[in-house]
Amino acid sequence: MGVALGAGLAVSIAGIGGGIGMGVAGGKAFEAIARQPEVGGDVRTLLFITLAFIETLTIYGLLIAFMLVGKIE
Amino acid sequence: MTFGMWDGVLFNLGPIPVDHLIFTEWVLIALIGIVAISATKNMQMVPRGLQNAFEAIIIFTYEFFTQLMDEEHVAKKWAPLLTSFFLFILCSNYSGLIPGAAHIEGFQPPTSNWNVTMTLAVITFFSIHIAGFSEHGAHYLHHFVSPSWAMLPLNLVEEVAHPLSLTVRLFGNIFGEEMVIAFLMFMAPFLIPSAIMGLSVLLGAIQAVVFTILSSSYIAAAAGAGH
Repeated sequence: MGVALGAGLAVSIAGIGGGIGMGVAGGKAFEAIARQPEVGGDVRTLLFITLAFIETLTIYGLLIAFMLVGKIE
Repeated sequence: MTFGMWDGVLFNLGPIPVDHLIFTEWVLIALIGIVAISATKNMQMVPRGLQNAFEAIIIFTYEFFTQLMDEEHVAKKWAPLLTSFFLFILCSNYSGLIPGAAHIEGFQPPTSNWNVTMTLAVITFFSIHIAGFSEHGAHYLHHFVSPSWAMLPLNLVEEVAHPLSLTVRLFGNIFGEEMVIAFLMFMAPFLIPSAIMGLSVLLGAIQAVVFTILSSSYIAAAAGAGH
């Protein structure tokens, strides 16, 4: 019971943080592209790198959740 | 340990057991190799068909990596490795799109196992340091103690964190996606999983791009000026 709860919380709390971070980063990137469309390519590449770093933290949560799911009896 | 996945051994090659992941990798490598060889067997001055497509890929990736890594000779040196990473990871991710691949035994995409993604990340790890040493010589060691000696442990942790995060990102994404599809196949077969599979076409490509871009930016950071 506790392990199952922990697995759910691990992925959901990590998801909240990652979601907020990705929203801020993506929103700012769109603002930048809308203001200066000619830098779109550079901003897009940097956005992908940034999103990948943010996503890693969420994936760590997912990984812990998978490990915990393996322990549920 | 493969997180409850099927890890049966297909056959033994001498002392080395060959399982379904290695076999799938060999099939993918053979596929990419055959297409590449047949594209470049009869090369012509004015390219047509497959040769044209491959030249477009090579030119695009060289320009892309030159723009990303700032220095052209570094980009020229590492673009073949990075492009191979991209093609292999893309084919590997897409090999999971065979309907029901997530729970047919022996049909999981290789990148959904972290032994495979760890292997790719370890290749990147060595590439980073080879790039650093070949550009800066022994002076490259200086960047481990910059800005001061107190930062040495933190810098070392960072060097280990790079391949670890590459491993976990690729593995977590593909494995998570496969699990979602397998779960939906179990709950509501055929119609609903196809929506997620459409999404995973996009996701597989993005993960291949992200792995390649991050590898190239780590290599560029090691090879670039400033150390």
